[in-house]
Amino acid sequence: MMTNPTLWNYDLDDACYRVRLMASLSGVTLDLRSVDAFPGNEHLGDEMLALNPLGRLPVLEHGALTLCQTEAILLHLARIGPRGAAFVPSDDAGAARMRDWLFFGARDLAAPSQARAVAMLGAAGDAGALNHAARHGLRLLEDHMTAQGFRGQGFVAGARATVADIALFPAFALCRDFNLDHDAFPALRLWARRVRQLDGFITMPGIPDYH
Amino acid sequence: MPQTLNDTAGWAPLALASDIMTATSAGTVWNGDEIVIWRDSAGRVHAWEDRCPHRGMKLSFGFVRGDRIACLYHGWEYDSAAACRYIPAHPELDVPATIRVARYKAVEALGMIWVAPLDQPGPAPVDQTQVNALRSLQVDAPLARLTQVFVTHGLPGLGLVRDVVADGAVIRLTQGAVRLVAGLHPVDDATSMLHIAVEGACTQQALAALVPATAALRRLAETGVAGAA
Ligand code: FES
Repeated sequence: MMTNPTLWNYDLDDACYRVRLMASLSGVTLDLRSVDAFPGNEHLGDEMLALNPLGRLPVLEHGALTLCQTEAILLHLARIGPRGAAFVPSDDAGAARMRDWLFFGARDLAAPSQARAVAMLGAAGDAGALNHAARHGLRLLEDHMTAQGFRGQGFVAGARATVADIALFPAFALCRDFNLDHDAFPALRLWARRVRQLDGFITMPGIPDYH
Repeated sequence: MPQTLNDTAGWAPLALASDIMTATSAGTVWNGDEIVIWRDSAGRVHAWEDRCPHRGMKLSFGFVRGDRIACLYHGWEYDSAAACRYIPAHPELDVPATIRVARYKAVEALGMIWVAPLDQPGPAPVDQTQVNALRSLQVDAPLARLTQVFVTHGLPGLGLVRDVVADGAVIRLTQGAVRLVAGLHPVDDATSMLHIAVEGACTQQALAALVPATAALRRLAETGVAGAA
């Protein structure tokens, strides 16, 4: 696979941001193809549905591969990027923890992204229920990172950042977009600061660049 | 006679000192008032109204540079006396001294950051006893309820609560071999925080093991049931 992967991208979509961030941290150059998801709904047009019948971004094309699941895209970038190996633990327990938190993000911490899409991007959904679920999920992550701090582990799966941290980061970093303050999450605040300090960190609208 | 915290009425603990790192800021709410707590690059702690005089945006979203905090929105910078010193849109301007953020008093004691209104008479907390910070716990319950649940159950599951001492805005109690100290922080009518630490020797491993019990306290105060999911 010699060519750069192509990311079908919408700048304000937090899942697309996860992909851009992982690519930047791993040292992968992406060819970005802009999709007007809001207000244009281009992700639901025939061209994009042919690529991803789920009608969702991001989509990554790389050679013969077409990937539609954010977490799978992140793992692929970590695998092909010259700096990507640092984000996948080489020991069995570390890799298992990374995957556990990756699936936590995909399943149990899906609400923040949905709550934000309702608040900012005109998506349909029950804002109250989504905000409540988002806060519950972030509380669980806050509890975990509080304990991790005492274990001397600054990231969700251990002492070093993994793909799971990148997958989870926007759920917290962007939660003010749906009016959830950071006040109740001191451990996540410290964790987010460590993520920001990673070599190759990039921002998106809503995640200020102040370093 | 040593100071007790009963002597420091008007002061409230609004954060664990170790949660506010040098050159960072954090927002909090005290009795409905939004406050930014920040440390300058020398480690000194400041508490101000969380509102930029320019257009009222939250200063806690901003960033610390040296002994100044800069607003995220248009970059106005405020020195540690809360006076605006720099306006990026008018870099040549000698900023009028009248542009100021409303300040609070702020001190560190007992491993917590204590805040009081600027005109608060009387002494500030001075207790410099070293404690092991456990966590700040935000709970959807008024402070009176959270306090009552805490003095009754401590951290649920750790055993019988003994030797409860209420001292101003702090409660101390013992469960088993663990001596807890908790700062009481009313957020608003429906929300409160406990800033919890362990007094005396305690390993990091023991602190990590206490975290699930703090989540159980949160559940108990919010739902009345410790064990429910
Ligand atoms: S609102 Fe703070 S600088 Fe404009």
